Amino acid sequence: MIYDIKLKITYEYDVPATGARHAVRILPVTIDGRQRLIAGALSFDPVPEERVDIVDFFGNHVSLVQMRAAHDKSLIQMQTRVQVEAPLSLPGLSRPLSRIAEEVATFKSMAGDAPHHFLGASPRLPIVPDVVEFAREFAGRDMPVEEIARAMCAGIHRDFKYDGKVTKVDTPLKEAFKLKAGVCQDFSHIMIAGLRSLGIPAGYVSGFLRTIPPPGKPRLEGADAMHAWVRVWGGRDAGWLEYDPTNDMRAGLDHIVVGYGRDYSDVAPVVGVLRSYGEHATQQSVDVVPVNLGQDA
Amino acid sequence: MADLLGKDAGGALTDPLLGYQPLPGVADEMVDPSGKVRPVWQKLLSYLGKQDENGLEDRFNRADRYLKDAGVFYRSYGGPGSVERDWPLSHVPVLISDEEWNRISDGLIQRVELLEAIAADIYGENTLVRDGVLPPALIGANAEFLRPLVGVKPAGGHYLHFCSFEIGRGPDGNWWVLSDRTQAPSGAGFALENRVATARAFSDLYADMHVHRLASFFGAFRETLLARRQSPVERVAVLTPGPANETYYEHAYIARYLGFMLLEGEDLAVVDGRVMVRTVSGLKPIGVLWRRLDASYADPLELNQNSYIGTPGMVQALRQGSVTMVNALGTGILETRALLAFLPRISAHLKNEPLNMPSIATWWCGQEAERAYVASNIDGMVIGPAYSRLPFFDDKGQSVLGATLREQAKETVIGWLKAEGARLAGQEAVTLSTTPVWHEGKLVPRPMSLRVFAARTLDGWTIMPGGFARISSGADALAIAMQAGGKSADVWVVSEGPVERPTLLPRENDFTRNMPGSLPSRAADNLYWLGRYIERAEGTIRILRAWHARYAELADAETPLLADLTAYLKALDIAIEPAVPDSLLANIESALFSASNIRDRFSPDGWLALVDLAKTARDFNERIKAGEDAARAMTVLLRKLAGFAGLVHENMYRFTGWRFLTIGRLLERGLHMTRLLGHMSGDDPPDGSWDLLLDIGDSVMTHRRRYNVATAGVTVTDLLALDALNPRSIMFQLDAIKSEVEALPNAYRDGQMSPLYREAVRLHSMMAVKTPEEMNAAIYNELEQEMETLSNVLSQTYLA
Repeated sequence: MIYDIKLKITYEYDVPATGARHAVRILPVTIDGRQRLIAGALSFDPVPEERVDIVDFFGNHVSLVQMRAAHDKSLIQMQTRVQVEAPLSLPGLSRPLSRIAEEVATFKSMAGDAPHHFLGASPRLPIVPDVVEFAREFAGRDMPVEEIARAMCAGIHRDFKYDGKVTKVDTPLKEAFKLKAGVCQDFSHIMIAGLRSLGIPAGYVSGFLRTIPPPGKPRLEGADAMHAWVRVWGGRDAGWLEYDPTNDMRAGLDHIVVGYGRDYSDVAPVVGVLRSYGEHATQQSVDVVPVNLGQDA
Repeated sequence: MADLLGKDAGGALTDPLLGYQPLPGVADEMVDPSGKVRPVWQKLLSYLGKQDENGLEDRFNRADRYLKDAGVFYRSYGGPGSVERDWPLSHVPVLISDEEWNRISDGLIQRVELLEAIAADIYGENTLVRDGVLPPALIGANAEFLRPLVGVKPAGGHYLHFCSFEIGRGPDGNWWVLSDRTQAPSGAGFALENRVATARAFSDLYADMHVHRLASFFGAFRETLLARRQSPVERVAVLTPGPANETYYEHAYIARYLGFMLLEGEDLAVVDGRVMVRTVSGLKPIGVLWRRLDASYADPLELNQNSYIGTPGMVQALRQGSVTMVNALGTGILETRALLAFLPRISAHLKNEPLNMPSIATWWCGQEAERAYVASNIDGMVIGPAYSRLPFFDDKGQSVLGATLREQAKETVIGWLKAEGARLAGQEAVTLSTTPVWHEGKLVPRPMSLRVFAARTLDGWTIMPGGFARISSGADALAIAMQAGGKSADVWVVSEGPVERPTLLPRENDFTRNMPGSLPSRAADNLYWLGRYIERAEGTIRILRAWHARYAELADAETPLLADLTAYLKALDIAIEPAVPDSLLANIESALFSASNIRDRFSPDGWLALVDLAKTARDFNERIKAGEDAARAMTVLLRKLAGFAGLVHENMYRFTGWRFLTIGRLLERGLHMTRLLGHMSGDDPPDGSWDLLLDIGDSVMTHRRRYNVATAGVTVTDLLALDALNPRSIMFQLDAIKSEVEALPNAYRDGQMSPLYREAVRLHSMMAVKTPEEMNAAIYNELEQEMETLSNVLSQTYLA
């Protein structure tokens, strides 16, 4: 499946901002056997005095930009064409929970996709006893990781209500868990923290969802903005498996990956530091359209 | 004092040990296992034996007085807020022969080179994980593993430049490393201060014993940091988290001692991948940062996003290799407690050699066999967090000593090991050696550990010949007992023959000479406001003194003159009760706060004068009564203020910083007089107003001499507003402001006056042509506003 994706993020400041620096992670990555970035570009307004594009530790595209001059609004746009393949579906290879610790310990690499980075606490995911307890009900020692992940995915979808008004981008895990409601970021965080509390490596996926569903299928939650889901390490053979707790499904052809991290803080679309005094408002619009190459050609 | 330990009534020594009794089964620094005094201690011991007790106390007081006068303190946290505490010095130094010291040095140099190799491996190829030498979990779950730094080669190629080690001597007489400090080791400045203080206490002995000096260690490191710059225009700076940090005093001290700038994250900006300091003359490049800030706070963009004390873009600057960071961001991971368990294997793997100086025995409980060992030997173990970067005796009670647990608690700990082994490490509960401490009139043994410092110089690593000893407050020699309070002592490395005597006199080089224009904007801001607060306090005190002097005569606060002045003060938010009002206290505290942000630019005398002023004001605030008592108290405060001003005036180098302080004072004094004159120039001031004003303006005598007439509005206005020779007049301030502003950087740009200079000149001209007769409330009002504008333009131009 090939998609054309457009993303527009605007910021408006009550008091003009100066010396703004942003780290922007919105351009999808190429992942062998999963998706391919055919073309993609970012543009900024005002035009940054400085811009450096790098690839971060987890393999994500990052643009580091600086807008020094005073500005009362800024615009970040991304346009890309991405080819998505059905994820190589080998969940049956995932190991039982009882074997995971050993598989992790003998995985002798610290590369960005090694499981070691995705266990224990991370900046946005401290250990929360309530979440630990919640996770326990989905696990059995002999259950394969894939089964546990699917059960937890379904459990979160069942127990938590999708509500864009109750949480914010910086709502702590503990609070979102108590509210039993939130958005894709909250659900993903709860599932990641839950899996990690069982000793299963789990990470955060930032990405896009197809906006208009295929004929006869329902529109997925989270398609009107950037989306988030979870990846789970099922052992050396199964590797990483992706689940979307917001829509209770495995991530498939409708999920386009922008980047991977331990939690939101590693793949936040825009991290910004600037000098300003007042409030600011931000808006995001996303358009993900399948390209019918047959008709185009 | 005939009976000082071990002397008989005739004063003859009966006991060469002066009654000192080492603890049984514990190694002692002064007394060897056979009970004999070690040769290196003999001189000190016989010297102590010759002193009477009063003489010794005098010597110790001399050391304490030095530390107090130098303003040495550390900040201690606990309870609400934080307190500055005097530095606790144990006066008797710890003596070590240079032969033994060389062995320690060799062991530590080997160790620091190993640590460098480990840093390079963790942030590079990761062969230690690949080859199974280091468990990946120790890196992956480690908060000090800073992923954005992976693959970033440090400028100049080195990760480590300055490290410290906590070492202790075990019962068998050998030294062990208790912990490694690689993040931002503190204490080197305190070691220097301990040395100065202890050398004062024992000045004759110090000169007589061949003690290795510390200055050449700092000198070599200073030269090295200067040499690490990529261009001579770059500056070297100490990067501090700020005055709230517990060792801020030391940051300021080291910066001042070495002649480096003391900067906070906010002082820095990254432009095109280069680190720059914001100064009053624009952005200036920084070549080397000696970091005293934990790495994760260094960049809110790529590291801890909640950091308010970092510099956005710092990581990118490091990626571009434009600045040398001492030590590299991410090297804090080397302090991880559980890493100690793997050092012998890592040394064999990376260096193919055994460690010359062992670490304290450590087991990471993430491994089955190690966990079982720790559990079954729990009585001889200290168990604590595996990822802790603090030594077990310093981790605020996070570690437990197995031997002190009851059976049930032991079971709990063993269960804890099973459930969360990977997060725990066991360490041998070692007994440390003791060293003599002067306690209640005699020498007693107290357990100690040493902090030793290593610096990378142009000729390789070097170890400071000395350091500081941490001495436990109790007699319990188990290392974990170190956490309860304690003192520090100087460490003398003693040679048999004479030693080199270098000093750290300023050297001929472009950096120390190149100070012009390098004043950081934040420091300038603090100096400017220090000047304003000090002068505001003075103005307030002068008015209050005049008020109370008259109240003492009239005994009625409702007379028109006093009521009018009370109303004037009220409009400025100054109450007349208590006699030393809270707003005046707040004002002095603000001055103190501004000064605390720039401790490195001050003489300790200036600082102490200010601290004393604040203390006195607080004391007066609580007890002084209105009238005569208060007038006298105000005079005391004025004298103390003058003392501070005098110290600044006498001792502060006449450069940009001084100008900002001065402009602050001039402007505030101008405002003070303008407001007063404006008030008096209203309709019908109460009787005695002009005399009162002369009194406040300290110009009674001058007025009498200059004008052969009774006090009148015109003569007072002439003297206090327009007379350019009267240091209290408005005109005098404007005159001086004009010349100070003219001397600031960029007063002229491309041959044109800067907006600030233009403003200063305009104000000056406006007043220069005035006659006393035409002065009125409206003009004073306009003048007051113009002065505030001048202040704003100054802030925008230099202080933003």
